[in-house]
Amino acid sequence: MTRILLSPLHRWVWLDTARRARKLLRFAETEADGGRDLVRAAELTPDPLLRRLFLFHARDEQRHAELFRGRGAALLHALSAPSSPTGYRADWLAPGERGLDELRIEELEDGALLAFLHLSEKSAAMDFASYRDVLQHDPSTRAVFEEVLHDEAYHMNYTLSQLVRVSPQRHQLLLWRVRLSRLWKGYLRLALALAGAISGLILTILYFTLLAPFGYFAKRAARREPTGWLPVSSERNASLDRQY
Amino acid sequence: MPIAAVQEERLSRRKNDAAFPLLAIEWCLDQAGIGPESLDAAVFYERPMLKFDRILTCALRAFPRSWRAFPKAMKNSLGEKVWVRGVISSYLGLPARKILFTEHHQSHAAAAFLTAPTRRAAILTADGVGEWTTLSIGLGSRRLDGASSITLLREIRFPHSLGMLYSTFTAYLGFAVNEGEYKVMGLASFGRPTLVDQVRRLIRRTPDGAFALELDYFEFHTTVQRSYSSRFIDLFGPPRSPYEPIDLNTAEGRRFADCAASVQRVLEDTLVDIARALRQETGLPDLCMGGGVALNGVANARILAESGFERLFVPPAPGDAGCALGAALYADRIHFDNPDRQVPDHPFWGPAVDGSALARLAHEDGQLCDELDDWELIDRTADDLAAGRVVGWMEGALEFGPRALGHRSILAAPHAAEMRDRLNRDIKYREEFRPFAPIVPIEAADRYFELPPGGARLARFMSGVFSVRPEWRTRLAAITHIDGTARLQTLERSMAPRLHALLESYGRRSGMPVLLNTSFNLAGEPIVNRAVEGYSTFRRSGIDILVAGGTRVVKRASSAAQKEKIACSRSVAR
Repeated sequence: MTRILLSPLHRWVWLDTARRARKLLRFAETEADGGRDLVRAAELTPDPLLRRLFLFHARDEQRHAELFRGRGAALLHALSAPSSPTGYRADWLAPGERGLDELRIEELEDGALLAFLHLSEKSAAMDFASYRDVLQHDPSTRAVFEEVLHDEAYHMNYTLSQLVRVSPQRHQLLLWRVRLSRLWKGYLRLALALAGAISGLILTILYFTLLAPFGYFAKRAARREPTGWLPVSSERNASLDRQY
Repeated sequence: MPIAAVQEERLSRRKNDAAFPLLAIEWCLDQAGIGPESLDAAVFYERPMLKFDRILTCALRAFPRSWRAFPKAMKNSLGEKVWVRGVISSYLGLPARKILFTEHHQSHAAAAFLTAPTRRAAILTADGVGEWTTLSIGLGSRRLDGASSITLLREIRFPHSLGMLYSTFTAYLGFAVNEGEYKVMGLASFGRPTLVDQVRRLIRRTPDGAFALELDYFEFHTTVQRSYSSRFIDLFGPPRSPYEPIDLNTAEGRRFADCAASVQRVLEDTLVDIARALRQETGLPDLCMGGGVALNGVANARILAESGFERLFVPPAPGDAGCALGAALYADRIHFDNPDRQVPDHPFWGPAVDGSALARLAHEDGQLCDELDDWELIDRTADDLAAGRVVGWMEGALEFGPRALGHRSILAAPHAAEMRDRLNRDIKYREEFRPFAPIVPIEAADRYFELPPGGARLARFMSGVFSVRPEWRTRLAAITHIDGTARLQTLERSMAPRLHALLESYGRRSGMPVLLNTSFNLAGEPIVNRAVEGYSTFRRSGIDILVAGGTRVVKRASSAAQKEKIACSRSVAR
C-alpha cells in the first residue's frame, strides 16, 4: 500500500538524470561501507559458517557498490552539462540501503547482528523494488536494481535461517528488539537533523548579526599581516599546560 | 623509551578513524602493563584553542562569504574538539593538570628529530596546517649530558601552505584530500611539467625565501565545499570528475597528468630552496623532516640530492599519527627533562601477529595449512614467489605509520609488468598509474638502484624515490615506474631478520634479491593487524598464499571456492 502511495514521489525523484546519478553514487558508497562492516563481522564471529557467509555477503555488497558506481558514473558522463556529484539527492524521500550504519559490530552477538541484517536487507529490498518499478524509462538502471534485488532476496533468506540456527529460542525476540531499535534510531536521526537545522539557523543568525564588525576588524588585521617567514618566539613553547 | 604505538584505525578497522583513540590507548597501556593512574601525563599533539582561534579568525576574515561554512565549523569545533582536556580527562580518569599540549609542528619536529640517530640536526616540518603553522624550520640537539632541545626558529602561517597547495590539486584532480596525495605523485610521472608557470602564479616566492599563496585562486580558507576558486578553473581548465577514470591516451588525461607533474615540480623546487637555505644557515650535515609533506618521496630524494644536507631522516610516521609519538617524546625529553635515550630505529611498535590464530581459522574453513619452522617457511615462500604466486606476509609487530615495511606486506615477484597489472586489478583494486614499491637488502640496493650518498638511509622507511639502474629496468618491470624510478625500501637484517632471509632465499632462485612489497590491505581499508584480518583479506582477494608467524595457508582453487559457496547456500536452504 505504502509502495503504491509513494510511487509518484519515487517517480519524481528518479526522473531527473543528474539526481539519479547522484543517488546511485551515494548508494555505491553505502553498499561499500556495508561490505566493510560485514567483513568486520566475519572477522569477529566465532562461528565458521557465519564467517564464510558474511564474507560472501561482503563480496556481494562490494559488487553492488561497483554496479551502482558504474551506472551512476555512466549517467553523469552522459549528461551534456557537467553536474556536481554532491548536489541534492532527496535522500529523505528515497533512501538506499542503510546497511549497518550507527551499528557497533564489536558490541553485538551473532544473533542480534543477524536480526539487524535481516531487517535491513528486507527494508532495502522493498525500497529497491519500488525504485525498479518507477524506472521503466531507464532500462540500464532498472537492470542494476534487478540484479541487486536478486542478491537481497538471498541475503534476507540466509540471515533469517542463520538467525533461527544460532538463536532457535530467541529469534523472534531479537527481531522485535531490532525493529524497536530501528524505530529509535529513526527517531534519533530525525531529532539530530532537527537539532542540526535549529543550531545551524541560530549560528547563521549570530553570524550576520554579531560577527559583522568583528569581520571588518579581522579583515583589516589580515591586510596588515606580513607574509613570508615569521619568527617563533621562545616563550611560545615554554609551557605544555596551555591549550592556546 | 617508547613501548608501544598504534593507530586507532588499525584496531577499530575504520580507515582514518577520527574518533577518540580509546582502543589504541587501552592497547598501549596494556602493553606497558599499567593503568591510566600510573601516567605522569597524557600529551595531546596540538593546542585545541589555538586551532579554534584559526578557524574563527578565518571565518571572520572571509565574512560574509563564509556564512555557509561558519555554522558547520562552529558545530564541529564546539562539539568536542575544543574540549580535549575534559574529554581525555574523563576517558582516562586523569586530573586535568596531567593533560599537556604540544604545538602541532612541535610534535612533528619531535617525532622527526627525537627518533633519528643524530645528535644535532636541522629540522623542517611541512603539512596542510596545524594550529596556524603550515611549515616550520628549527634545530634539534642532544647534548652529551643527555639533555635534548628542539628550537623552532621560523614558520609560515595559514593560509600560506605547501600542503594545502598540493591538496588543492589533489581535489582538483578528483582524488580524496588527505588520502589521494599519493595518487597525484604517481600520476605526476606520466605528465610533463608544462603548467609550471601557471602553478607559479598560485604561489609567490617572498623576498625572505619563503612563499605566499595567491589567495584569489583558492577557497579552502573560506568554505568547506571547494578548495579552489573559479579563477583556478579559468587557469587550469575544468576539474576532473572523481567518477571518470583517467585515460592517459586522451588529451584530457594528459592535461591532468601535466597538472600533477607541474604542482609536483613546484613543490619540489620550493622545498629544495628552503632546505638549501637552511643548510647554509645552520651548516649542519643532517636534516630531520616531519609533517605530511615529508611523505612525498620524490621531493625528499631531490632535497637529499640538491640541498647540501648529507643525511635526511624521515620517520616511518611523519604525518599526524606520528605526532602522538612526537608529543610523548617531547614531554619526556624536554618538559620532564629526562635524559635522552636512543629510540630503536624501526617502525614496529604495534600488536604482534599470532600464527596459531591463522591455523585455527584455516582449519575451520578447510583451507590447506602448514605450520613450519622458519627455514622451511622461508624456503617454501621463496618457491611460491619464484613461481609467480602472491604472498600475504604477516610477522611480528605491526608497523606504525602509513607504509607496510615488511611486517604486514603483500609480496610478489618484481619482474613482469603483468604482475603489477594483476595486483592492481585483482588484489589492490586501484588505478593503473599507481606504482608498486620494491624491497631489497641494504647490502644489495646499490646494485639495482642509483642511490646517492644518504639514499640508503632515506630508503629505510620507504621515504625516497630513486632511479632503477637502466640495465635492470626490464627485469624489474613490476616495480619500475614510468619514469624509471621506484620508491624502494632498503632492509637491514637486524630490522626484520626473517624477511631479510626471505629476500636472500628468493635471490638465490631468481638471481635478484628484490621483491615487490605493497601494503597488506584492500582499497578503502586500513592495513591488516591481526591474523583474522589478514585471513579475511586473503579470502576476498587474489592473494595465493598467506603467511602469519610460522603458519602458511594456501588458497584452494577457485572451483573449490565455488563449491564452498554452493555448500553454504545449501546449508542456508536447509
